[in-house]
Amino acid sequence: MDIDQLNEQIARIEAQVGLDLAGVEQVDALRSLETTVLGKKGSLGVLIGGVKDCPPEQRKAFGQTVNQAKTRVKTLFDSRLGKLQSSVSEAETKAETVFDPTLPGKCKEMGSVHPVTSVQWEIERIFERLGFTVEAGPEMESEYNNFEALNIPATHPARDMQDTFWLDNGKVLRTHTSPVQFRAMKKFGAPLRIIAPGRCFRYETIDASHENTFHQVEGLMIDRDISIPNLIAMSRMLLREVMERDVELRVRPGYFPFVEPGIEIDMNCQICGGQGCPTCKQSGWVEILPAGMVHPNVLEAGGVDTEEYTGFAFGLGLTRLAMMKFGIGDIRILNGGDLRAMVSPERLGGPILKDKV
Amino acid sequence: MLISLTWLQDYIEIPPAIDSRELAEKFTVTTAEVEQIERIDISAQGLIAARVISAKELSHSRNLKLVELDVGGGKTVQTVTAAPVIHEGSNVVYAPPGASVASMPKIDRASVADVESCGIILPGEALGIEMAAQEAVFLDETFSSGALLPSDLFDDWIIEVDNKSITHRPDLWGHYGIAREMAAILRVPLKTYPVVPIEDLMTPDLPELPISIGDSSACRRYSGLVVEGVPTKPAPLWMQLRLGHVGMRPISGLVDLTNYIMADLGQPMHAFDASAADQIDVGWAKPDEKFRTLDGMERTLHSDSLMIQCQGKSVAIAGIMGGLESEVSETTVSLLLESANFDPSTIRRTAGKLGMRTDASARFEKSLDPTNTALAIQRFIVLGRDMYPELTCKSRFSDCYPGAVKPTTVSVNPAHVARTIGRNVSLQEANDLLKPLAMDVSAIGDQWSVAVPSFRATNDISIEADVIEELARTIGFGTVQPAMPRVSMRQFEKNGLHELERQSLAYFTTAHSYHEIHGYIWYDANWFRKHDVDPGQCVELKNPAAEGLQYLRRSLMPGLLAATARNRFYFPEICLIETGSVFTRKQSDDNEVRHVGLVRARRGKKAETAVFEELKGAIAGWAWDRFAKQVAYRPAKANKHHPWEHAQRTAELTIDGDSYGTLSVVDASFRRRMDEHLASWAIAWAELDLSKASKLARHNEKLDTIPANPLVELDFSFLVPSASLYEKVVANASGFEHPLLRRLCYVGSYEGDSVGAGQRSITLRALIGEASRTLLDEDAAAFSKEFEKHLVEFGYHIRR
Repeated sequence: MDIDQLNEQIARIEAQVGLDLAGVEQVDALRSLETTVLGKKGSLGVLIGGVKDCPPEQRKAFGQTVNQAKTRVKTLFDSRLGKLQSSVSEAETKAETVFDPTLPGKCKEMGSVHPVTSVQWEIERIFERLGFTVEAGPEMESEYNNFEALNIPATHPARDMQDTFWLDNGKVLRTHTSPVQFRAMKKFGAPLRIIAPGRCFRYETIDASHENTFHQVEGLMIDRDISIPNLIAMSRMLLREVMERDVELRVRPGYFPFVEPGIEIDMNCQICGGQGCPTCKQSGWVEILPAGMVHPNVLEAGGVDTEEYTGFAFGLGLTRLAMMKFGIGDIRILNGGDLRAMVSPERLGGPILKDKV
Repeated sequence: MLISLTWLQDYIEIPPAIDSRELAEKFTVTTAEVEQIERIDISAQGLIAARVISAKELSHSRNLKLVELDVGGGKTVQTVTAAPVIHEGSNVVYAPPGASVASMPKIDRASVADVESCGIILPGEALGIEMAAQEAVFLDETFSSGALLPSDLFDDWIIEVDNKSITHRPDLWGHYGIAREMAAILRVPLKTYPVVPIEDLMTPDLPELPISIGDSSACRRYSGLVVEGVPTKPAPLWMQLRLGHVGMRPISGLVDLTNYIMADLGQPMHAFDASAADQIDVGWAKPDEKFRTLDGMERTLHSDSLMIQCQGKSVAIAGIMGGLESEVSETTVSLLLESANFDPSTIRRTAGKLGMRTDASARFEKSLDPTNTALAIQRFIVLGRDMYPELTCKSRFSDCYPGAVKPTTVSVNPAHVARTIGRNVSLQEANDLLKPLAMDVSAIGDQWSVAVPSFRATNDISIEADVIEELARTIGFGTVQPAMPRVSMRQFEKNGLHELERQSLAYFTTAHSYHEIHGYIWYDANWFRKHDVDPGQCVELKNPAAEGLQYLRRSLMPGLLAATARNRFYFPEICLIETGSVFTRKQSDDNEVRHVGLVRARRGKKAETAVFEELKGAIAGWAWDRFAKQVAYRPAKANKHHPWEHAQRTAELTIDGDSYGTLSVVDASFRRRMDEHLASWAIAWAELDLSKASKLARHNEKLDTIPANPLVELDFSFLVPSASLYEKVVANASGFEHPLLRRLCYVGSYEGDSVGAGQRSITLRALIGEASRTLLDEDAAAFSKEFEKHLVEFGYHIRR
């Protein structure tokens, strides 16, 4: 057989396969047809088997021809098989129940972090992106670290501003996160960029808007030429990031012994938008960020050279911010442990269809 | 601190274009926070002065009096009043029929308690003065009977300044100081403080009042003056109204006058009856000295209470309150006026110990300007002469001033000003800003020298930063252009504990369904008492928030279990987590450590094994996730101070053989005692030491290489006595050595009906294989036979 005869024969086989495949409707029939063509004794199979008996000078050409033919035929079979299979699965699917893609999925119950933690983490991420490190500091603090190191000597009237829980081991429950300023300066020296979220304690009567146990985030930045414009820019950045919208600030003097100048940064009330409501005591502003340039006495207590370095510090009311973000009206909820008031209902159950709570 | 705008206008002219709210806003952004601004709008129409001719109790109605009033022009009226005190001959504010004030219904003739009553004697409250209920306002002789009281006298705007925001500003505790600040803000002139010249009070022919100060560190200055011609009578109406509007109750002419000067200048004054105090010694109280104060209370003093004494006898607690015996009364002929300056911490300490915070002590605590002692007396004479035409001095102005304050100058580096404010400030600009605040800036070389007035020099401006603050606030913080900082790069050593805490919370709340809560850091002693449990040696609060809340927690579990009980009605399953500090009485730094506490609770007693296993599984996942380390549990003894630890079912969590926490299930009787509804619950809990765990080095997580020839998995289930610990069983099983064994793992355990009582089924999985070949069935069979033989040697029964 010469190559022309071979091509002719192959063309015949391929034409026949095309005709036969068109009539095949079952996968089984297709498989047996495939055997009659490509099997060892099949029409094309025989030709493939015959290659080894060819004279050596023809073997290469014959081999290539039949192998190419095999690939083409195989493709025909595979393509037909694909069509048959998809029509089979379509039929199977039709036999099952109606598929409703709009039905909710199923998921195990989600856990949750505390609203304050959620806002705290958000703030940590904001500052970590700016190269700040997160420090903690103990809740049981020495009187020195809580007061003296922060320029609040024993006779200072400012001690009245923060009614203190005193402990029988001579320590106090920290009244603010500011002692971490001192600890961080001692630990790292300047330049310094930290935030210190944590719990603080003040001896006061609890009601819907006062707690004796609450969270703050202290911020401290010490470097060459840190200025009031820097403090205001960072405060604006912080509040904009946390509230996820542009906020208006009002900067005014404030008095805290550990800063000089001391400022209070107010944010336009996010509840009423500045029109005046009970949350902002009708003023349109909410006190959110007491801050200032670190007092030279505080820098010196922390061993920082005040000629070379300046710094700013702030103490953000984390608890208040969380209440604002989550729309919590009663501060007692936060330490109350009642999940109904602390976890969104969507986390606790399935989709909510109508909500008039 | 309440400020009257009418009062301020004695000293400054407020431009008419600036309304009161705008003024308050300017003050807030430049000086100190205005908490509130309130309009006092009495809308008084037709009020007149009237003299009381007679007043008698109405026999048939208690608390009511029938008063006959002279209303001028020879006319009299009769009216019924509920005023508690009405003296014949006194002058009152009277509203005849047709007169009106905003807070009262129509004033007319009426029948009150069956008596004809014409108009009303106006109570102080109706005029915006805080007084006892229905108390009348008494007038001095300024207005004769029937004289119309000018209606504009009654109205005002009151600004409430946040006291905390002026703690450091002794000068702002009086209207004149506030006026000075307002003058600077509004850029209007400040009038000179109206006083008589001090020379006028230095008359050489009058005697010197003897004053001595024992300890000049406790009393910096004591000024005094003896006067006569101050009869008992009411203060002028305008003064009573101003005092009333700023929250001070009018009492009598003399008291009102000294209070007025306190609210005007910030300097407290006191008047003694000179017959009981004719010379002054400032000294310390005798230990446990008893002293009766003006309010009639007997006080026990301390040896560090500073006293005003006269010939060894105490007449006042310095800076806090005068004595009853030396009180000015109707029989007083001459007065000794005290105007002194005391050490703030001495006053603070004594006021604190005696529990007596007075308007005077609050001011002395702020560190007042000693210059004001003289000014107050000079001012007293100006106002006193208007009120008391007969007023005469019976002594010279006498002054003992051992602690004279030197003029303060502060050196300021203008480069530091620019560095802090973010822009250059010229000498000219600095002077423009600070001159209205009475500060003078001059250049000495490349530095500035700032002269600080005496009223800003006490506990206020003493260093460069203080002057920078004055510049920054008067420039206006609102005008500062924000600019992000330029920083030096540096690396901070990792805070492992904080990272671990954050990641642990994230793990348990997302990989599992725990909900984070925050509890108080003190135990509730009542909770422990209910369970007859001693909470152990705790750090204690000296001033707990409430009775029974004095113990600082040593464990997070009481709070978590209480929260579990709180949620029991609303959820069939409760998973809680808290991270927080726990405290011990140690002296070392580790007396506060961070823990994580977990509770897994489910309704139904039978769930106990399940919740405990799920909790353990979550913890094992945590340890792997955080440290790439496997955990092990070993039996532990329950802590007698921790009733939530089950006597038999408490375990210790170990990693690398070290203990990192405790876990158990809560036993039934304790559940029931906690809350009877929890009797039918299963509760598992764990408490782990995060501080210790944060020191664990993270293991390197190694991944498998896919073997060239597949491994064969073979499961082996066998029965062991229930009493045999898993730890022991797997140690025995792991002793097996075989060349084909690649890995041996735990699959699970089961106790129940199908395995029989006292038995536990344990399933292990062996992975076998050989690198060079695919295993044959015979290889697996041979392996199984040998491994089973090994297990049987320990008496374990193979399940088929």
